[in-house]
Amino acid sequence: MSAVDVPGNPLEGRLVRLVAREPSEVEAQRRWFNDPAVIRFMQLRYPASRAEQERYLARVGQPSFASAHFTVVRKDRAEPIGRVQLMRGRAEERRAELGVAIGEAQARGGGYGTDTVRAICRFGFEMMNLHRIELHVTADHEAAVHVYEKVGFVQEARLRDRLFKHGRYYDRLTMGLLRGELRW
Amino acid sequence: MSSPFEGQLVRLRAREPGDAETVRRWMTDEDVLLYNTARYPRSMQTLIQRSTAAGDVSYYNARFAIVRKADGELIGDVFLQCEEPENRCAWLSMLIGLPEHRSQGYGTDALRTVVRFAFEQMNLQRVELEVFAENHRARTAYRKAGFVEEGVRRRAIFTHGRYHDQVMMALLRDEWEAAQQ
Repeated sequence: MSAVDVPGNPLEGRLVRLVAREPSEVEAQRRWFNDPAVIRFMQLRYPASRAEQERYLARVGQPSFASAHFTVVRKDRAEPIGRVQLMRGRAEERRAELGVAIGEAQARGGGYGTDTVRAICRFGFEMMNLHRIELHVTADHEAAVHVYEKVGFVQEARLRDRLFKHGRYYDRLTMGLLRGELRW
Repeated sequence: MSSPFEGQLVRLRAREPGDAETVRRWMTDEDVLLYNTARYPRSMQTLIQRSTAAGDVSYYNARFAIVRKADGELIGDVFLQCEEPENRCAWLSMLIGLPEHRSQGYGTDALRTVVRFAFEQMNLQRVELEVFAENHRARTAYRKAGFVEEGVRRRAIFTHGRYHDQVMMALLRDEWEAAQQ
């Protein structure tokens, strides 16, 4: 029997590692959230200034229960490819809201998004003691919906005409994942 | 043209600091507490601050007191919260404070009035709300006002020792207009 049973790093997936956000990422952050392909199905509409991104990174720098923000780092290259967060943590409800964006084009479609979602959900359940993780996604964003379903999220509601962008209204889906439903 | 604040039985007005005492009384009612996530008691000071802050009714903070037309008595509170004007969507929450004012048509009338305000004065596209799945009386009232159930957030709220499902409902402008014909 080994002396100490050391569990694996709770912030590590198969392909990615989650680390605290740093002010030095401001340029990457600004690039990601000014990329039309990244923000196409998100609530974001207006260009993100460098100053605002600096303020934002300073504010979310220290992950906590109420606001657990992370940079997604690709393990094989040790470079940041996006960001992921469990926001609006509610203590009594033991619930938080998931937001994820893989900003680097080279990292899309390679399983990094799926691995990121699994890693942060595991962290949410095993380290933050959450009971429920939920998210909102634009219904037309099929690739994202597919990832969320693959890891176990259940489509719970379809909010009709909930988002206006690009000249039309889009439906938004509410998806939820309860403790024990995460799939590997 | 009828006043945008007037229903048949109730009228909507801005909240005033003097409403705080009545609001505090509501927050001790069993039915209010049963389907509410406001778990901690609120001091008079907090309630007065809140109602004063809410006095500035605007697109982003359309909060009203519901008063009975017959005698001007304060009977409830209704709130349209709009975060992103681009989406033209507001979050509705409503409360009829005391048991003797429920099931008499005041809630239905207030709901109808505030929804008309949302579409005719605020030019919204969608009004949405959430309700405890077990709160059948409220669900029936919202359905009667034209709201459609869009789904259920499973075990989303914890109160009184257990998790509760939340039903999401919404009314779209087209649906509301069609129902006015």
